This record gives sequence, C-alpha cells and structure tokens, in this order.
Amino acid sequence: MAARKRSRRWRWVRLSVQTLALALFLYLLVAAHAGASTWLPGDLFFRLDPLTGLAAMLAEKRLVIPMLLGLLTVGLTILLGRAWCSWVCPMGTLVDWINVRRFRNALGHPSPWHLVKHVTLLAVLLGALLGTLSLLILDPITILFRMLTSGFIPGIDWMVTRSETYFYRYDAFQGFLERFDGFVRGTLLPAAEPYFIPSIALIVVFMGILALNAVRPRFWCRYVCPLGALLGLVSHVSVLRRVVDREKCNSCRRCARECPVNAIDSEKAYASDPAECIMCLKCVEDCPTGAITIRPQPQLARPELEGLTRRQVLGSFGLMLAGIVVLRLAPLLRGTDQRRLRPPGSSEQDMMTSCIRCGICVNICPTHALHPGGAGADYDGLWTPMLVPRLGYCDYMCTSCGEACPTGAIPMLSLTEKQQAVIGKAEIDQDRCVPWSQGVNCIVCQEMCPVPEKAIELEEVIRTNSEGLETTVLLPLVVRERCIGCGLCEHQCPVNGEAAIRVYPDQGGGQRQRRGRS
Amino acid sequence: MRLPGHQISNGTVKMTAIDRRELLRRMLALGGGALATAALISLLSCSKELSPELPSDNVTPPSPPPSGAAYLAVARGDSPTTLVQRSISALGGIERFVRPGNDVIIKPNICGSGRTPEYATTTNPEVMAALVALCLGAGARRVRVMDLPFASISGSDYAYDSSGIAEAVGKAGGEMEVMTKMKFQKTSIPSGQSITSCRVYQDILETDVLIDVPIAKHHGNTILTLGMKNLLGIVDDAPSYHTADLSERVVDLNTVVRPHLVVVDAIRILMNSGPTGGNLSDVKLMNTIIASHDIVAADSYGATLFGMTGNDLPIVRGGARRGLGTTDLSSIKIEEIAV
Repeated sequence: MAARKRSRRWRWVRLSVQTLALALFLYLLVAAHAGASTWLPGDLFFRLDPLTGLAAMLAEKRLVIPMLLGLLTVGLTILLGRAWCSWVCPMGTLVDWINVRRFRNALGHPSPWHLVKHVTLLAVLLGALLGTLSLLILDPITILFRMLTSGFIPGIDWMVTRSETYFYRYDAFQGFLERFDGFVRGTLLPAAEPYFIPSIALIVVFMGILALNAVRPRFWCRYVCPLGALLGLVSHVSVLRRVVDREKCNSCRRCARECPVNAIDSEKAYASDPAECIMCLKCVEDCPTGAITIRPQPQLARPELEGLTRRQVLGSFGLMLAGIVVLRLAPLLRGTDQRRLRPPGSSEQDMMTSCIRCGICVNICPTHALHPGGAGADYDGLWTPMLVPRLGYCDYMCTSCGEACPTGAIPMLSLTEKQQAVIGKAEIDQDRCVPWSQGVNCIVCQEMCPVPEKAIELEEVIRTNSEGLETTVLLPLVVRERCIGCGLCEHQCPVNGEAAIRVYPDQGGGQRQRRGRS
Repeated sequence: MRLPGHQISNGTVKMTAIDRRELLRRMLALGGGALATAALISLLSCSKELSPELPSDNVTPPSPPPSGAAYLAVARGDSPTTLVQRSISALGGIERFVRPGNDVIIKPNICGSGRTPEYATTTNPEVMAALVALCLGAGARRVRVMDLPFASISGSDYAYDSSGIAEAVGKAGGEMEVMTKMKFQKTSIPSGQSITSCRVYQDILETDVLIDVPIAKHHGNTILTLGMKNLLGIVDDAPSYHTADLSERVVDLNTVVRPHLVVVDAIRILMNSGPTGGNLSDVKLMNTIIASHDIVAADSYGATLFGMTGNDLPIVRGGARRGLGTTDLSSIKIEEIAV
C-alpha cells in the first residue's frame, strides 16, 4: 500500500501539467484577441508542434525559422518518449478528460488499427511534399484552436451578449452588468461581436472526435492523430522507456487491461510499443507489485507492432493521389461563383503551400473579417482564411494578421505596405444600389471609403422621380486604381441581404475575366 | 452498495482512482448545467414576448430658458474654451442644465476615418474639454463622452484617439466610453413616420443630461450635418437608415432622443466633400460656437454659416414641422457675443 501511495503522486503531477498547458493554450488564444502583450509568442503551441512545422517546410522547400521550435518537442520526445500526448497536447488533454464510459482493453496483441494514424501522417507529409497543406486540418492543435476561436467563443459571446442585453433593461442589474461587461469585453470575449460561417461544422467535428471516445478511450490519440504518429516514430529511439520486471510481475493483466492507449501486449510479457506508449505512468502507479518502472534504456526499442508494409505505404500513396484528384474535381466549378478574397498581401499560392490552417489570423482579426474558408475556399483550401466583407472588413489601420501568422503565409507588412496591398476591387451592382436603382441618395460607401483619395466618387445627375419632380441624385462610382478591396463599403452597404457594392478578387486589367468557356 | 468513486476493500470504503474521473464528470455536469441555463436565458431573451421595447414616453422636451436668459447664444472669437463658457453663460449658465450629482453624457461627432481636428470632420477637442470642465464644475457626478464612429465598435478606440477628443476629455476629467453591444435597446418611436422603432444606446435615453455637440459640416446626403443628424451616432444600425428617407428617419429618431443642450462647434467648418472631407481647402475657419436648448433653432443658425436657412435642410425643416423647435430665428431671443 505504501508503494501505491507514493506513486499516485504522478497522477496529480500529470494532471497539473496538463491543466497548466491547457490553461496556457487558452490564455494565448484569449490574449491574442484581447491585444494583450505576452512574453510568449501567440503561436507557441503551433511552433512546438513538429508536424505543422515539418509539413510547412516540406511544402515550401525552405526553413521556416520560427517553426524550428518543434525540434524542442522532438528532442524531448527522444528523451522521454511520446509524453507530449498525455502531458502537454491540449487536444490530448480534452480527449483524456472527457471519458464517456470506462473501458477494459481486450487482451492479446494491440490492434493493427493503430497503424491508421501512420497512414494519416504519411498522407499529410506526402501532400505537403506535393505542395498542399490541406491535410493539416487533421493536426490536433489546429483542430482545437480553430474550433475554439470560430466555434466555441462566438457561441459563448452570443449567449453573454444576449443575456446582458436582456438584463440591462432593468435598473437593478445595470451597475453589475456595466462592471461585468467592462471586464469581459475585449478581454475574454472579442470587442466586436464574432460571427463565423463554419462555426457549426467546426463544433460538430470536435464533438465527433470526443464522441469517438465512446468507441475506445482516447480514440483520436490511438488511431487517428498524425502528430501522435510522428512523435511515436521518434519514440523508437527514446531514452526513457517502460520496463517490466519479470521477477515481480504476477501477470494480473491490470496494466494491459487499463492502458488508455492499449499499448501493452499481454502476450509479450506486458511489454509496450514505445511508439504507442504515451508515458502517462498509469501502469507504473497502478501495478500492484511495483513491477513496472520507467528507466533509461541503452539499446533502441524494437517496435512490438509491425510497421507499415511496403504495400500499405504504396496503398496510402495511391489513396493520397486519388484524394488529390477528388479534391481537384470540385475546382472545375471554380471561378463561376467564387469570391475568394485572401488576407492582405497573401496570394492563393501562399494559402495552399504555407498556410498551416491554424486559425491564428481568424482569432486575431479585430473586425472578424477573416473566416476559416469552407466550400468557398474549395476542398483543398479548407479552413484557409478568407475575407468575407459582408461580415467584417479589413481595417485600414490594422496589420494584425500578417504579424501573427506563424509561417508567413500572410506576409508581415508595414502599415504603409498593407494600406496599398490590394485584396480585391469593389464593383457596384447598379440593380441593387439605392441611388442607381431608386434615385434615392445614400452615399454610405463613399462616406466610409478609408483610402485618402476616396476610391468611390459621386456623380451628380438629375433624375425625374416618381412624382415627376426633378431631383439631384449622387451616384457612386468606383475608381478601380484607388480601390484596395478592404470591403468596408460592402460591409456597411445598407441594402438588405447581399450588398449592392461587392469586392471581387482583382484579376488585373479593367474587366474581370471569367474562367471557362463562355 | 457501491458508491461511484468508492471501493470496498478489507471492509472499509476507500476512494479509488475513479474519483478524479467522477470529479471531472461532476464538474462537467455543473459547467454544462450553467451553460444550458445561460443558453436558455439567451434564447428566452430572443423571443419577442419577453423582450418588451423600452418605453419611450419618458421623453421630455428640453426646458425653455428662464427669464433674462437668451434662447440661443452665438459667440465668436479666438479661444474655443472662452466661446463655450460665454455662450453657455448667456443661456443662463451651465447650472441651468446640470445639477450637482447629475450623470452627464456629451455626444460629439467623431468621424471614423481617423482625421485630425484640422480637417473639420470631428468635433473640436477644446470645445469638448471646455464642456466637460463646465459640467464637472457644476457638480456632475460623472461626465461621459461617446460616439459610434461609422457604426463600428471595434473602430471606436482608434477614432477617439485620432480625433484628439480622448486626450482632451481625459485631461478635463471626463470618461470616454466605447459603446458596448448590450446597451443598444429596441425603442419604439410612437410618432415615427418612416421608422417606428430604433436601437438606441440605453444610457443616452436614461442619462440626466444629454449634450449634443456636432461639428457643422457639409454632408453629401443631408446637405449639412448638425445637431439633429449627429444623433445618428447613438444607434447601432445607422447605415440601414440610408436606404430611404434618411432625413425623415433622423427626425423620427429626434422625437425620442431630446438633448437638453445643443452646442454647435463651428470653430472650423467643412464647406464641401463632407462628411469625411480630407481636403484642407474645404475647411473654413469660423471661430464660432452656437448654443441653445432648441436643437432646431441651433441647427437653423448653423445653416446660416453656409449661406442657407434651416428650411433649406430637410432634417431641420422636418424637425420644425414635428414641433421639435423653431426655424424662425427672428422670433427668438438671440444673444451674439464677440470675445
């Protein structure tokens, strides 16, 4: 009993480390939209994540300096094994904490389904090598960050704002609400109300991952996670490993039954595959005879599970190619209805090869102009940032997204550069525009236009109105050379539904070209 | 019987490893419950029956001047601070409007395009500072200054700073308030002709003293923007007012929001390409302050600086028609002060 008491410590140490890491992750996320300065970089967890860094470097065929911090994680994994998954990874922490029911593993060899995550990893890296980072949407850090920033926080914000608005009418609550609102607005919650197009999809994906825990504990970490697979590969050479003392082991099978990732083989003397073991120390502290220890091992580990066969590797390569073809089929529709606007200074190419789909720009954009692109970004551009002017505009005085982007997919521009970076060009829909179609003055777009010499001019014309009276109407006209496509006009256009002035990607030249035959 | 998280061994109940799990589960249940309650409240607050519109029958017209005081005061001279002080003392002094312990809101026109005061698109900071100081001197409990530049909450801080108003007001002891979503409340406009309700900042409706401080400038849609038009900055959906009858809608809004005092800043006025300007050649130095409790009269006098009368402006004309004040400057007592 004394031995068990002593070893239970680890449970609490691990819980504390997990909590701290998750808290830090949330703090960095909130600090970014609060505009608070932190001594740690806002993209710390993405830098620590070796998968995003490796994929970005493979795709770009160059070193991405900030992402080299991932080597620290790799180094620690060489020392400690795949401890990241059960000690640090915020996604792993949530998957660990939210247990649907209690499980006991079947005995015998660990399931070959564990290899699926190696296929995921291979697909991510092969895709990166071919120049697309689309599959980084499977990286656990990006999944969690994206879900929180574009799904969870907008939901909380909506609830808080609605409740506040409801109660603010009553005098009794006003003093408290004023203090409360002052405390959370612009700090825990974004200053402006966030709405994101794919919120529900993001939440559903995340809930789905948690729900898979009902099938197997830590389903995500066991079978799917490409980051876990990568760190598992590194763990083959790890120094500290799990050792079972055969003298002390009484074959109670408890460790094999309760291992959260089913890494222990009851038929191989309860040895574990270092690629699967996440160093949670549960077996160490649970072992009734104290037979399990974690010790430095001089020789390399022999994987208990067979690795991927050549056939499997080739198969996943084929799958990868087929996947790319399928993804590229959708773009046959491209150019017909798509209005893909990208953050200032970034190109479509940058989005495919440098954007790691992390969602940091979406989180930091103060006007919520940037959205994780869904169908509008095409499948291969899933969750890459798109600027949706109707929901938010690119603030003329802001350079946040370029400063925050960890890979430079959105270039870091000075304010002057960004004020000249063309996102698109505004075009007026004369059939919807109030002055053009109804002869009623409006001027909102002209009034709002932030460029020094306004990109919208008003032409004064005399119109005869419905009562037969001659009136002067100011018709807005876009001066294309001056327009930078910030979208403020589209955002504020007072027409209901689709704006009467809209920003389209700039395709150069005077007239917008259409793709395909006409 | 086995309690969750407890195990019987050697006849005694021991807590086991399941405890942590159970604790977390309970914490989650508690958190889930709190979230569900919050969700319920927010859903309830969406339903129409449970969200009554704010009563707007507490709208009272500003009180007429005491005997001896001017109906409208105009001061001309070099120092904006002195002009504000002299024009208000001609109206009977700040004590006529602000009582000790009052909560005061001053609503300037802060333009969203980040222009500095010399472009004459935002209210003069010195005028704002002078008013804040006067109100505090009269014993106001707190003096808040707010606007919603270009209908953008996230752009407010920047516009407050670049206008110079944040600094001036801060030095004078006032508070800049960035408008917050929760305080915009649906308010009915019983006598509305183009709109029957609006989403007004609740504090503006409830404050003891509301002072409207427009800058006199050209406006592409409403010809000029003065005191009445300046109140468009207290609703959170101002752009939507432009789809039809902007002037009529501004008048509708003015029937439920009645400032107690209007101070028209005509230190510099913008003669053309308003409301956002950007060209110094459109700016004319007038060194004038106009003050009155009557928003229509103040705006009518403001129009004369541009060679017009109140009746030339649809908003001001509409205000007079609806009984919000008078455009007939010959019928009121005007005190002109040269400093």
